[in-house]
Amino acid sequence: MSDTNAREAEMDNLLRRSMAAAVPHLSPDFHQVLARELRRRSETPNRFGRILLANYVGVSVVVSVIVMRGQGLGWVPITVMMIAPLATLELARRLRRWPMRIRL
Amino acid sequence: MIRVDSDSQLVARAQGGDQDAFAELFRRHSDRVFRLALSILGQGFAAEAEEVAQEVFLKVHHALASFRGESEIGSWIYRIAFNQAVNLKARARYRRPHLDDTVLSYEVTTEPGPQSLVETAQRNQSLLECIQTLPEVYQSALRLYYWMGASVAEVAALLDVPENTAKSYLHRARQLLDSMLKEKGYSYV
Repeated sequence: MSDTNAREAEMDNLLRRSMAAAVPHLSPDFHQVLARELRRRSETPNRFGRILLANYVGVSVVVSVIVMRGQGLGWVPITVMMIAPLATLELARRLRRWPMRIRL
Repeated sequence: MIRVDSDSQLVARAQGGDQDAFAELFRRHSDRVFRLALSILGQGFAAEAEEVAQEVFLKVHHALASFRGESEIGSWIYRIAFNQAVNLKARARYRRPHLDDTVLSYEVTTEPGPQSLVETAQRNQSLLECIQTLPEVYQSALRLYYWMGASVAEVAALLDVPENTAKSYLHRARQLLDSMLKEKGYSYV
């Protein structure tokens, strides 16, 4: 055995001896704590986000209707203009999810 | 008969909002994520490694919709864990755990007398300090292999590198430690 190999083998031995210590494990309630934290994080912004979004949509609809009626538009084109962007968004969301599942 | 889903099946189900699939994915990978984090942070940092593991899974849960399946889900999770642990270590500027007399019990020596015990403890402490100066991947590979008893294949999987690269990390780390100890005047051969 060459000197380099001997040194490497000795270092291997030394590392084995000096790093020998008990290895800790995840605490038994790790998954419960994680599930709780996940619930907490996913609920808080959702509730806040929903309230914010609902208020924003409500105000936008009212303001838009007032402005469009003021410009002399009828109820049918106003309704179409309100629903069309929402339908496009939903369609885009569905199309984006679709190919991702196929790739997996 | 119990159906065992592959990781990619679980990912597909989890992306569809199946919380049980999420839970199963986390259960499968949590131990390895914890061990990887611990291998970067070092001995005495179990609580921090657990925090890292929790943060990793929260990130995975949040970002799973953007996972395209270009790599194994495990590799993706371990990469997040590695970066998270390295960031934590850099942020905390590495609070060193207190090393007390228990280091004396790390090595069973045949040499009698308190003098040799003290020398051994000093050399071991010096070695642990040298390890902390190595690049993160070397430290991680060393701790996984020597402390946690992981195989080279496991080290490679956790560090997301080929087995030969993991072997060369260990080889290079041993060489660097050898020269560092020599410089400090410790002889072990």
